[in-house]
Amino acid sequence: MEFNILGIGVLTWLVFLPVLGMLLVLLIPGNNKNAIRWTALGITALQLVLAVIVTCLFDRSAAGVNDPQSFQFIEQFRWIAVESVPWIGKIEILYFLGIDGLSILMVLLTAIISVIGVISSWNIEKMVKGYFVLYLLLVTGMMGVFVALDFFLFFIFWEVMLLPMYFLIGIWGGPRREYAAIKFFIYTFFGGVLMLLVMLGLYFSVAYTNEAGEMVHTFNLLHMMNSANFVEGSIFYGLDTTWRYIAWVALFVSFAIKVPLFPFHTWLPDAHVEAPTPISVILAGVLLKLGTYGMLRILYPILPDGTVYFMYLMAFLGMISIIYGALCAMAQDDFKKLIAYSSISHMGIVMLGMASLTNQGTVGAVLQMFNHGTITAMLFLTVGVLYDRTHKRGLYDFGGIANQMPKYTGIAMVALFASLGLPGLSGFVSEFFSFLGAFDAFRWITIISVIGIVLTAAYVLWTIQRVFLGEGKEEHNSLADLTGRELVMFVPLLLIVIFLGVYPGPAIELMNTSISTLVEFVGLAGK
Amino acid sequence: MESVNELLTISPIVIIGFAGLFVMMLDAFTGNARWSFYASLFFCLAALAGAVQNVLGPTGTSFYSLVYYGGTASFGAVLVLTGTLFSLCLSKDYLEQTGNHIAEVYSLVLFAAFGMLLLVQANHMIVLFLGIESMSIALYALAGLLRDQKKSVEAALKYFLLGAFSTGFLLYGIALLYGSTGSLALPEIAEASDKGVMYWAGVGLLFTGFFFKVSAVPFHMWTPDVYQGSPTTVTAFMATASKSAAFVAFILVLSRALPDTSQQWQEVLWIFAVFTMVIGNLLALVQENIKRMLAYSSIAHAGYIMVGLAATSGAAYSAVLYYLFAYTLMNVGAFGVVAYYECHKNCDFTEIKNYAGLGFKKPIMGILMSVFLFSMVGIPPFAGFIGKYRVFAAAIDEGLISLVIIGVLASAISVYYYLSVLVYLYMKEDETGMVMKRPSTLYSLALIILALLTIYFGVHPGLLTDFLGSFYSVTW
Amino acid sequence: MELDWYLGLSAVLFSIGVIGVLTRRNAIVILMCAELMLNAVNLTLVSLSAQMGDIHGQILVFFSLSVAAAEAAVGLAIIIAIYRNHLSVDITKINLLRW
Repeated sequence: MEFNILGIGVLTWLVFLPVLGMLLVLLIPGNNKNAIRWTALGITALQLVLAVIVTCLFDRSAAGVNDPQSFQFIEQFRWIAVESVPWIGKIEILYFLGIDGLSILMVLLTAIISVIGVISSWNIEKMVKGYFVLYLLLVTGMMGVFVALDFFLFFIFWEVMLLPMYFLIGIWGGPRREYAAIKFFIYTFFGGVLMLLVMLGLYFSVAYTNEAGEMVHTFNLLHMMNSANFVEGSIFYGLDTTWRYIAWVALFVSFAIKVPLFPFHTWLPDAHVEAPTPISVILAGVLLKLGTYGMLRILYPILPDGTVYFMYLMAFLGMISIIYGALCAMAQDDFKKLIAYSSISHMGIVMLGMASLTNQGTVGAVLQMFNHGTITAMLFLTVGVLYDRTHKRGLYDFGGIANQMPKYTGIAMVALFASLGLPGLSGFVSEFFSFLGAFDAFRWITIISVIGIVLTAAYVLWTIQRVFLGEGKEEHNSLADLTGRELVMFVPLLLIVIFLGVYPGPAIELMNTSISTLVEFVGLAGK
Repeated sequence: MESVNELLTISPIVIIGFAGLFVMMLDAFTGNARWSFYASLFFCLAALAGAVQNVLGPTGTSFYSLVYYGGTASFGAVLVLTGTLFSLCLSKDYLEQTGNHIAEVYSLVLFAAFGMLLLVQANHMIVLFLGIESMSIALYALAGLLRDQKKSVEAALKYFLLGAFSTGFLLYGIALLYGSTGSLALPEIAEASDKGVMYWAGVGLLFTGFFFKVSAVPFHMWTPDVYQGSPTTVTAFMATASKSAAFVAFILVLSRALPDTSQQWQEVLWIFAVFTMVIGNLLALVQENIKRMLAYSSIAHAGYIMVGLAATSGAAYSAVLYYLFAYTLMNVGAFGVVAYYECHKNCDFTEIKNYAGLGFKKPIMGILMSVFLFSMVGIPPFAGFIGKYRVFAAAIDEGLISLVIIGVLASAISVYYYLSVLVYLYMKEDETGMVMKRPSTLYSLALIILALLTIYFGVHPGLLTDFLGSFYSVTW
Repeated sequence: MELDWYLGLSAVLFSIGVIGVLTRRNAIVILMCAELMLNAVNLTLVSLSAQMGDIHGQILVFFSLSVAAAEAAVGLAIIIAIYRNHLSVDITKINLLRW
């Protein structure tokens, strides 16, 4: 499958369209705020259109994962090596993009959340130009990670995301923004450093024979997945060696920081509380998925032996995250912090589903990634709406909002119930699948994890009661209901949440082939 | 004709040496420092052109095998001259605004650069010694340039005493190597068969001398004092050009004079690299003065570079050359921005906490500082990342896995202190309400070029890395 | 072996110089000790050169002598500047810059 626009592949357009937008924004004078906003909106909307086209053209029967032939929209050329020089053979860093069933939903999610993020950034007044420049750079980084098939390229996009995120939290954030920004940066950078180490080790372990018959070291993820390509005597050669386990742990930690999995989660509540609403939306909607996506794309197929060996550890950490996140969420009286901890809990479900190494569990996990992205984005937008009007976020600061803002309350209820896992809304389907898969693999861990659902129900209902029901507060009597702009950002998410709750088939079909291939591959290679 | 060709092989040295004398005389006759400034810029550019031409040409020795040209040596000259050129561009404004615009600066800088060029092209211990000494003596004087400021003079004294001390070690090392191998020429030292006690004592003392010059821990004590006390643009010059020169000479000595015994001294470098990286980064964490912080950060960078030296492969040496290039760009840049900020409020504006909110006042300066600092952190897509990545990759290829793990973790520590500058620039409010000056065109142009180069060589490093690899016919 | 005596003497002189630099507090004395180190090395070079019948060592001595002279000139100038600023050449009292 190929699809070119002006001779350039569609994935390159998807990734670098925001950079183009960034340059446009830079050219607009800083005081023309609306022009800047509309440019950013136009660019991200265009990106969404491309993502939708890609989804429509996507061939559901092609597996991808470790087979270069069945990847779609592939673009590949040498990036760092130069053709004309004789010793080119040895280094190979590729510009290698492509998507399969694992990434297609994430690409779509990134595009959707990016547009919504721009709409919800409309009322940012501080240095609009700088804000949107960084925002668009961030979008490029996220999109790049989801389509990169070369480890080096993946790493570059992964790190490129850090810079704009750091400034977006640090400059446009709340009162403790510098603390939150630096904490976020150091955690993620530390993870990146571990990834770099493993990446270097893999580079020197993996070599394939090219057309000219030379042995070539490569960063190509697909070559790394083939155990025949590991050079004999190299550090990661063989199966179930100590070095491979060490590499697995290092790589796992670097992704787990991003997920974030207990005990690497402490940056998340700080970052969420201090970040401005649209950045929280991006953070919860897309950034957290990078961790679990990285595990599926890199950790699982490249180090399958470690994955099988450590599957109980993953499930255990998933369980702890579910329970711990839910308990912490119950204890919060800050609305935003509550959602942040609920994110940790829900990402724990993703982890649990993935760890099961079963088809249902993994499908559920990937679907949960998508659903959590949309639902949590809605929840953060919900908080943002209240915060814009009252500049308060405490759960006890509100009450009886349902009387003042009926439309708003309706939408917020849907989001909260979806997060709770109410049947008929999207959260239910994916959580159900994840637990089903996990139950096959680890009975007791799953049973304990299900307690997390009960806790979730408790804090969600409690929140609804405290914020939306009950006695209204005097000073909130004149709160205006949702404006047109706010409706525009809520309604698409609302539709997705309801649609996937009633009829999740299309989403599952998109990824099913790839995931069964992946699960089978890991199972075969690791056991 | 033959002799003209020989002269061409040392054209940068000849041009810079002449320039130093010329600029000194120019001041005597015109009495206007401005002329000295333009003349030295001109000569620097000319020497840079000569050095670039030599880099592109073949390698070889000339002047009775006293100097070595082409390849690593001439690239070393390019590094030195790049550092010199850019720090000169920044010097005029800075010195004028701090009220110290005296023409001797330029001739001293050129004399120091002359020493560095000798150092990188040395093929013989006498030339190496002369180079290191002409460089150091000029730098002692430069450090004490502001002779009525206590800090500056103190820096000069410390630099001088420790420098003279280290000279003794270096010379003793040379003497013992001479005694054990019977020669002072680098290739002949390599050929000698006797590797007794005297040889090892000589190598040890020589290493000590070099460790002083590249400020490796525990021979780093002078670095922070000198970097803080010296005029900032001179610091930029010292931090980049002199360090590049010392490292390139170190590489040449290691690879040309001591290749056979690399198994043994590799371990010495291993240990010093660990200390330098860890201690440099840890001490940088607690600094409050930005010049001191950058000094410790440069010590840490020396540690990363020593990881490359410890790897001893051609790939590692070419990676180090790349790293030095990136290091030169980002450090001159960072010191340049510091020098710009310093020129406000009685010209003593170097505490990190002074930077509160300044990132918004002159947005371009803030962005430039961010680029340089992020490049030092080693984040893609900046040149610093590629440098660090290649050095560590080369070391892993040689099996120095634990060393690389230590290095990478140490560089993770460094994030904190680099970012703390950005925290002040962008995330604190400015309460002083001061008005920032507009930098001159040349000044901003130099900084912008540095930043663009930092980005360019981060996004598209292939050409340069392949070129540097060709010095060692490296296969990557 | 005659050479060993020369080498031994210069090693002793060098060590005296090192110890002097590390322990003395007066900047001028430290400078003198550093010069002593250089001259000890010169003795080594000359004796080695004579022993091997190779002229290069002695040439290096000439260079190192002139370098030492230049170094002393710059060094003394710096010490004078220090004295003008601090009214002392005791290096333990010159400590604006630390850590």
